[in-house]
Amino acid sequence: MKQPVAIVGIGQTTYRRHHFNRSTDELVREAVVAALADAKMDLSAIGLIVGGVAPDALAGINHIDMSSIARPGIPYFRVNTGGATGSSALLSAITWIAAGRCKAVLVVAVERMGHATTAQKIFNSIFDPIYEKDISLSTISMVALRATMLMQYYGYTLDHWAGLAARNSAVSQLNDTLERPRNFTAAEVLSSGILAWPIHKLEACPTSEGVCAVVVASADMVGDRSAAWILGARGLSDTYAMGDRMRRAEGTLVELVTLKKAAALAYADAGITDPLRELDAVEIQAPFASSEPMAYTALGFCEPSDGPRFADKAIDNRAGISINPSGGPQAANPVSATALIRITECALQIRQMAGRRQVDGIRKTVSTGQGGATQFSTAVILGADRP
Amino acid sequence: MSHDQRSAFVRGASLSMGWADASKSLTDLIFEGVSSALAASAVEMEQIDSVVLSAHDLIDGRSLSSMVTAPAAGAYLRDEIRLAEDGLVALSLATARIAAGESRLSVVAAWGRASEADFLNTSRASMDPFMLKPLGLSEFDVSAFRLSKWLSKYPGKEADRNRAAETRRHRASRNPRTVASPALSFPLNFPLRDAEQPRWADIVVAAVVGCEDAPVRVAGVGHSTDQTMIGDRDFLDMPALRAAASTACDDAGIVLNQIDLFEIDGLMLSDEVITLEALGLCRPGEGFDTYARSTTINPSGGAGAGWCYPAMGLVRFAECYLQLTGAAGAVQSKSRARTALAIGASPIGSQTQTAVVLEAE
Repeated sequence: MKQPVAIVGIGQTTYRRHHFNRSTDELVREAVVAALADAKMDLSAIGLIVGGVAPDALAGINHIDMSSIARPGIPYFRVNTGGATGSSALLSAITWIAAGRCKAVLVVAVERMGHATTAQKIFNSIFDPIYEKDISLSTISMVALRATMLMQYYGYTLDHWAGLAARNSAVSQLNDTLERPRNFTAAEVLSSGILAWPIHKLEACPTSEGVCAVVVASADMVGDRSAAWILGARGLSDTYAMGDRMRRAEGTLVELVTLKKAAALAYADAGITDPLRELDAVEIQAPFASSEPMAYTALGFCEPSDGPRFADKAIDNRAGISINPSGGPQAANPVSATALIRITECALQIRQMAGRRQVDGIRKTVSTGQGGATQFSTAVILGADRP
Repeated sequence: MSHDQRSAFVRGASLSMGWADASKSLTDLIFEGVSSALAASAVEMEQIDSVVLSAHDLIDGRSLSSMVTAPAAGAYLRDEIRLAEDGLVALSLATARIAAGESRLSVVAAWGRASEADFLNTSRASMDPFMLKPLGLSEFDVSAFRLSKWLSKYPGKEADRNRAAETRRHRASRNPRTVASPALSFPLNFPLRDAEQPRWADIVVAAVVGCEDAPVRVAGVGHSTDQTMIGDRDFLDMPALRAAASTACDDAGIVLNQIDLFEIDGLMLSDEVITLEALGLCRPGEGFDTYARSTTINPSGGAGAGWCYPAMGLVRFAECYLQLTGAAGAVQSKSRARTALAIGASPIGSQTQTAVVLEAE
């Protein structure tokens, strides 16, 4: 029988636009030393290091992980699934332990996108060079297309996007991993200028750098360590072309079919049948305000047609679940690390180590990861009680 | 060697090496390669529950290349993960997923299209931007440093070196999978030689592994990592390689000299040779001679048959599998091997190493 696995150590740098005065090695060291100290372990207990680094071009150095993350004598490999990199790396760590290959794994996700002259030009290069690059498709215009679809299908309005952005901004003020959290109202969002209609500037995540490190251990290593138990962890991939996902039988582009399926599998692993009632908190990898409601429905919090009403409740903090207690990725979105940060924030809440952003009574959570053009999805369920 | 309940078995594999086929996109090549592996395994795509890939964005020529390549490898509404690593690491992770009970039947694939990738500049972009990049260093120069050290320690082996190069060329010429018309070579620094370069290729290699009994079992897996700084490494002793191989052998319950056949990854012929010395397959200084004489070390012709990062560890695995199943064609070893060791290495200069022991029924 598989041994349960838990998160027992967490270390994070602060997240800011550009750590201009610190090398990647220094940032990694800070996060790793903190994670190992939190886990009450040293590197000799670690049987595998998994690196999470998304496109090399963002950092400007190929294989930046080989010098900054890999350590002599310890098995190492790197995961790259775009925005889902951090959570995919954690899933690999769980696999390694569940396979009996070692008892503790260190996961380190690094983002240095502040080094890129313009991140959006690099994100433009993820799209098809013949049909899509020339029309300046980027992560922003990709999100704008989806937001338009949501407005047409379900009746979302610009006020929903602005309200969610402002709500996440307000929550993020308590997050001490953010060096300079942005603080703005919905009215300020609506007057912040259009990036690509209907996306306003303040609905978009800022360019973000930083490192997140997590120690994952098998049950027999947990002992008296503070643990967030992994109750379910699943990932699924979809086809590439967004046009192929517009109106297929499995679900439309904005229904996030892979997240819906991944969450259903993770819920089944965790024995969850009524997510909104049984879960206490959710961290959603939605770098744009308009991306967040797609996850509400995929995670089973509401029906798609009820999405706008659920979003109203989320804006007013009366959704029946704590949504993005960290402020979420709209506050900071270091691409390679962001999906791991979502899991980390849930783990901190469960371990009651979230500082000023701690929410009372958090015992079971779900966090999401999204990579590519919402193509790679992960769902991770954490709990306070050993399964 | 004993089976345990967590073993992974190889259902089939395919290896395709070509050059600059303008009629096919990278996704066409990947689709064909994975389809061939499924056919060789007598498995339908519907039976596959997970996909594990190794590929690198800068070799594929676009950021987050798995957005377009993963679906071509069968990752449609399936559990899929992409590693930016040598292909043998993907094989290792797939077998871990089987051992963990997370997957029952998995596609593993790796590729690299040398005819379109800019290997030299990609390699240079991996070097430290302050200390190494200004010198113009690349993977070739790491190989040159390694060979220089070997030559200074073991002079007077010119005849062995020439024979090893000729042996590799001969084996590669008989390997039915060898790429037909290479058109690419890179300028080399002393003491590297053109005759010892890899044969650059467009490669797709794929395998199907599962939990149900099949003629070949993945009996042992090992990984390790070397020093980060090139100057800190022992180029000839290669401790990460030895640790990975030792772990794989322990895992398989076998000692190295009991293994029948070896497929070793290396950019240059000298890298293959020094690797076999570090493994302990011959006495130090006798690697070129051993490479020339032995019929069980890189019978495929190694990198001389085709090479492109990051597919090579899985290529070595596929060649081992073909030998163990008697399907290696003209390079089939005369004494049918029952056990084999595949080695895969990463940049920069083999900083990480993976070893996999295969065992036939």
